[in-house]
Amino acid sequence: MQQFLDLLTLPPVQRSGVALLLAAIALPIVGVFIVGLDIVAVRFAVMHVALLGIAVGFLTGLDPMLCGLAACAIAGAGVAPLAQRPSGLPGAMGLLMTFAIAGALLVLSVSGVNATSAFELLWGSILATRPVDLVVLAVLAAVIHLLFWRYRRPLALLMFDRELALCSGVPARLLMLVLLIVVAVAIGASIRLTGALLVDAVTILPALAARNLGHSLRSMVLLAVSFGFAGNVCGFALALALDQPPGPVLVLVAGAFTLVTYLLPEGAFNASTAARQDDDRDLRGAVPADSLRQ
Amino acid sequence: MTGSPQPVVFRRVVCRYGRSIAVKRVDLTVSAGEHVAVTGANGSGKSTLLRAVLGLHPLAAGDILVGGESANGTSGWMARRRNVAWVPQRLTPGRFPLLVDELLGSAIDCDVARDSAGDLGVAGLLRRPLHTLSGGQLQRVFLARALGCIAGGAGVLLADEPTAALDFAGQEQVAAMLAALPATVIVVSHDRAMSRTCDRIAEMAAGRLRIA
Repeated sequence: MQQFLDLLTLPPVQRSGVALLLAAIALPIVGVFIVGLDIVAVRFAVMHVALLGIAVGFLTGLDPMLCGLAACAIAGAGVAPLAQRPSGLPGAMGLLMTFAIAGALLVLSVSGVNATSAFELLWGSILATRPVDLVVLAVLAAVIHLLFWRYRRPLALLMFDRELALCSGVPARLLMLVLLIVVAVAIGASIRLTGALLVDAVTILPALAARNLGHSLRSMVLLAVSFGFAGNVCGFALALALDQPPGPVLVLVAGAFTLVTYLLPEGAFNASTAARQDDDRDLRGAVPADSLRQ
Repeated sequence: MTGSPQPVVFRRVVCRYGRSIAVKRVDLTVSAGEHVAVTGANGSGKSTLLRAVLGLHPLAAGDILVGGESANGTSGWMARRRNVAWVPQRLTPGRFPLLVDELLGSAIDCDVARDSAGDLGVAGLLRRPLHTLSGGQLQRVFLARALGCIAGGAGVLLADEPTAALDFAGQEQVAAMLAALPATVIVVSHDRAMSRTCDRIAEMAAGRLRIA
C-alpha cells in the first residue's frame, strides 16, 4: 500500500493520472460520435493520415506533429461530403486509410526518413505525458464539450436520421463537417498523447457500453463519460498496484466493463423509468380476460 | 402563429435513380390551401415527387416552386424546409436512440406538437425512445410533429402515406384532422377515406401524372 502511495507522489504518475481524467471527461463523447456514425475503423484511418502528415512535415521541415494534426483535420473535412450517402462513411474510412498509408510511404521514401522513426513520433505513452500534452488534452476536452452541449439537439437529430435533421432546419452538412474534423483531430491527438492502444479504451469501449444502456443521446454521453471515468481510475490504480504497464491493464478493465453491459438482458436498463411506468399503467388498466367472458 | 397556405407548383419535374427515370416531366399546380391526394401503384414515383419538394431527392430537370419561390443554395433550402411540414413514409429509426419528446421538440411550435400528441393518443410516450414504438405510434408522433410545424408557420404539409400503419379509427381521425388543416396539403395515400377528404386526386403511373 505504501509503495502504491509512493508511486502517486511521482510527477510523471501524477501527470498520467490527470491526463487520464481529462481523457475520461472528453474522449468517450468522441467515442459516442464514432459509434453513432458507424466509423469504428476511424482510428486506423486517422493513424495513417497522421503518419502522412508527419511525413509531409519531415519533407517540408515544418513541425511534424502539427502537420499530422492538420492532416487529420483535412481528412475529416475531406470525407464529410461522403456522409450524404447513406452508407458513405464506413466505406470512406477504408478508402482514406489505404490512400493515406500509400501517400505516407511515398512521401517518407521521397524525404528519406525511416518509416519506423515516423511511427515512433506518432505513438505516445500515457506514462510519458508532458505538461504541454495536458494543455492539449484540456483544450480538446473543452472543444468537445462545447460542441456537444451547444449542439446537443441538432446532433441527436443528425445521428438519428440525416433527412429528419435536414427537414428540422439543422445545417446537417456543416455540422457533419465540424463533427468529423473534431473526431479526426481528437483521435489523432489522443494517439500521440495516450498511445494507440489506449485510444480504444477511452473512446470506443465506453461508447459501446453506453449504447447498450442509454436511451437517448444525452444519457449515452453521460453513461459513456461515467464508464470512461470508472475504467480509467480503476485501470490506472490496478496497473500501479500490480506494477504492470497501464495501457493493457486499462484496456482490459474498460473491456470488462463493456462486456458486462453485453451480458445484461436486452432492455434490462434500456427502457426509461417513464416508459416502464407507462407500461405498468397500461397493464393495470387492462381488462382481465375473465371479465370479457362474463 | 399559423402560416398562410402556400401554392406548390411542379414544372416539368424529372427525377432519376441512376439511369432509371422515376418521375417523368410532371406538371402540377396545387393552389394555396388546396388538399391534393396523390395515388398510384407502388414504384410509380409518388414518394420521390414529394421528397423532391424538400430537396431530399435531386431534380434532374424542371423546377418546384413553393409560395412562388424556387429553392437554391443552403439558405434557400433551409427556408423551403421551414415552410414545409413533412410526414415521412419510411420511419426508419436510426442507429441512435431519439426520444419522442426530442422529436416533437424539433417542430417549429413544440407546444402545439406536444398538444397534438395528446390529441393523437401518444402523449404518454414522450420519454420513450422512438425505436420502442409500434409503427402506428410512430406515425402518430410524426403527425403530431408536422402539426406543430404547421402551427409554427409552415404553409404546406407533405404527408407520405400518413395512415398506412394506423387502425381504422386512427385512419378516420387523421383524415379528419388533415381535412381541417389550414394549409396546402399534398398527401400520398392508398387510403380511399383519406383521398375522399381531399379536393382533388392526382394519379401517378410509371412516373407520369395521369390525371390532375
